[in-house]
Amino acid sequence: MAEERWPADIKGEHKVRPYGKAVFAVLAACLLAAGMARAATSPPGPLSKNGEGEEAVRFEAVDVFIDSKDRPLAAWQIELTAKPDRTDTGRADTGVRPYNDVKIVGVEGGEHAAFKEPPYYDPAALNRNRVILAAFSTGQTLPTGRTRVARVHVQASGTPQYEVKLIVAASADGKEIQATVAAGQGDEQ
Amino acid sequence: MKLKRRIMIGLVVLVGVAVLAGFLLPSLCSYRECARRTQFFGGYVSYASRNQWEPAISPPNAIAPGEELWIIERPSAPPEPADPNAPGSGALMAKLPDQDNEVPVPLKHTAVQAFISGYIATVDVTQQFHNPYSSKIEAVYIFPLPTNAAVNEFIMTVGERRIRGIIRERQEAERIYYEARRQGYVASLLTQERPNVFTQRVANIEPGKQIDVNIKYFSTLEYADGWYEFVFPMVVGPRFNPPGSTGGIGAAARGSAGASGQSTEVQYLKPGERSGHNISLSVQIAAGVPIEDMECTTHAITKSGDPREVLAVSLSPLDTIPNKDFVLRYKVAGKTTKSSMLTCRDARGGFFTMMLYPPAELASLRRSPMEMIFVLDCSGSMSGVPIEKAKSAIEHALKKLEPGDSFQIIRFSNNASQLGRAPLTATAANVRKGLAYLKSLEGEGGTMMIEGIKAALDFPHDPQRLRVVSFMTDGFIGNEDEIFAAVQQRIGASRIFSFGVGSSVNRYLVEGLARMGRGAVAYVGLDESGGKQVDLFYDRISHPAMTDITIDWGTMDVADAYPRRIPDLFVGRPVIVTGRFNGSGNAMVKVRGKVAGRDEVLAIPAVLDDVSAEHKGIAAVWARTKIADLAYQATHDDNPELPVQIKQVALDYGLMSDYTAFVAVDSLTRTAGGSGTTVHVPVPVPEGVKYETTVAE
Repeated sequence: MAEERWPADIKGEHKVRPYGKAVFAVLAACLLAAGMARAATSPPGPLSKNGEGEEAVRFEAVDVFIDSKDRPLAAWQIELTAKPDRTDTGRADTGVRPYNDVKIVGVEGGEHAAFKEPPYYDPAALNRNRVILAAFSTGQTLPTGRTRVARVHVQASGTPQYEVKLIVAASADGKEIQATVAAGQGDEQ
Repeated sequence: MKLKRRIMIGLVVLVGVAVLAGFLLPSLCSYRECARRTQFFGGYVSYASRNQWEPAISPPNAIAPGEELWIIERPSAPPEPADPNAPGSGALMAKLPDQDNEVPVPLKHTAVQAFISGYIATVDVTQQFHNPYSSKIEAVYIFPLPTNAAVNEFIMTVGERRIRGIIRERQEAERIYYEARRQGYVASLLTQERPNVFTQRVANIEPGKQIDVNIKYFSTLEYADGWYEFVFPMVVGPRFNPPGSTGGIGAAARGSAGASGQSTEVQYLKPGERSGHNISLSVQIAAGVPIEDMECTTHAITKSGDPREVLAVSLSPLDTIPNKDFVLRYKVAGKTTKSSMLTCRDARGGFFTMMLYPPAELASLRRSPMEMIFVLDCSGSMSGVPIEKAKSAIEHALKKLEPGDSFQIIRFSNNASQLGRAPLTATAANVRKGLAYLKSLEGEGGTMMIEGIKAALDFPHDPQRLRVVSFMTDGFIGNEDEIFAAVQQRIGASRIFSFGVGSSVNRYLVEGLARMGRGAVAYVGLDESGGKQVDLFYDRISHPAMTDITIDWGTMDVADAYPRRIPDLFVGRPVIVTGRFNGSGNAMVKVRGKVAGRDEVLAIPAVLDDVSAEHKGIAAVWARTKIADLAYQATHDDNPELPVQIKQVALDYGLMSDYTAFVAVDSLTRTAGGSGTTVHVPVPVPEGVKYETTVAE
């Protein structure tokens, strides 16, 4: 069966018949009302996006590694800090928040069974914008060499550079041992 | 041709109307209307929530021929809710459980493990959230904890990974959580609505996934009349809020979000429904001395271990519905009337708690005449067994009045009324009159407790008698602070002795009343004899208390001791004092007070370096007690420094409070799609409470 078409469609004319006006009027009113309704009921876009459509704040993980060389690591305490890079140190026109908007949002344990449990953080230090983490293990098997001891989840803006300072590392007998500490980007799963 | 044109016009109009309806309906459709459109199909049930933005998701199994698929909503895109606090959106489908009356909920199990050392409990609560639906959800669960719980640890478990939550200023924690939710990260947020009511949110739980949240707290045990008492509340009772209020804790039927009009709302299962959520509970008690006796009238328990060392108690597998408080009482060997001290030291200094027992000679002194004011909560939540228990307790108390006493009975629900215009002397005829009045009282209507407070405290004080106001209530109200402020304003020389009645009493309210009224609190469970508690109560008030107490800490060098105003000491009721100290070695603490007008001094030796008396939870207990002290003060003092102080203490000690919250974000687990549908965990009404008289449909 042949498809029926409106004359205007065939000829490319836009001659509108009297009842056709009513049809378009109703349709236009419906679409206008629909648009208004949608505008009224739709929430605004995400507030936390910057001008280029990227998230103004993002969540990421920072891994903390301790290398105790050949000494078994039984306890440690570190301080994590975030420094700005050169391009986003609070310039108002970048739309990026200054570096100090790094917030710790979770602390996870490390890779070795001895430090699998999430480390403790110092709430009083955190209340003064310092992130101090610590953990100890009473297990028989302790890690040696380089091991990830913690994964810190943060909410960040800009591109901060994370620095970590070892406060102390200790062996099972409670004696301080020489060790180095480093921070790195966590792996997405 | 004309006919065809008319048909076309009709079609265009219909399309236009359909488009308009498609846009408008989701926003105009109330939650309840949407919920009414919820349909069953193919072994799955679909649930709709308030904001219908998410598309319906097909069940994982194919629809069988002849089965009907109902699409709840299908908008073109799933925008985010404008208000970050607003629930996420969508329609859900869940596999139907085996039992017809079982409602799928995103909370599968709560596991409670408590360890009691001395009079301090360390409690681990693990809430196992899961997603039984076919699309992503945010789970919201409102649950109780003990009023004095010092919540200082929060861990979220995603698969094998455990992430410690961070304590933050509440608004900041909320901002972080909602941003993480919006971006699709698995996250959780714990906020405090009342000192004994908390909200747990877990965002972006994908179908079939489980996320555990572990909460740890310390709390001190109650000790009364020779028994220690461990309580774990399991459900928040349905609360009444005065008309016009919005900041209370509301009660709504499952699927009727917003029905109560309150900022915090608990959804309740309807009669006959039950959820798959169950609870397990175990308690290990290392009392330090042999346990002589133990009772649990609320639940079936099993016992194991050695009562001389560590005794283990577990909830019976046959009693796992979380619909009432778990109450375990135990008695230890010997006379425990010696005040005892626990300490802890860390980098912040020394902390201690001391259980201060009343002097033994109190029991040999007699009281002066009393003006007993019984205030009976006759609201709908008390209807049935609770009000009968309360009436039985008052009846018992009336019969124990002595010549020279006077009494009044006040009832309140939507309003208050009383036995007589003034208190009646306790003659036999008046007591009979009181008993007859008591018999006529029934439970119905709201809980306008303020009316009861006014009626009980607003009439002239009889200088010849000690006024004792005894509230008999389940405490199911959402405006506790308003009540505390009213009591503070009116209390004068009156004393308040609260009786919490029922299976899930709002202990924050009844304990707060007793605290402000310089009295004490007792509980009458549904399985207990009210008479027994009344006898103990009379034993307590039949002797004068030790009043006007001050403490000379000697060489302990104490600062910041709480409660700042030491409550009176009654027979059988010790008081726990906690503070910070700098001293070491041995010290002699002197407690001074008045007993029947005479000065009394109690000397308590304290060994500050006793390793066996150390407990790592003391610092948290101290900080929690300080927060409670400041918070009670804030109910009647608008000093803007009080919230600041509370927040500061809570942040420094990593504790939950009105102004702090725990947040945890797993930055490695980002889920696709919007923020999912918000699903509230419906709970049963407490045992003995009638759904019909308490829950807004």
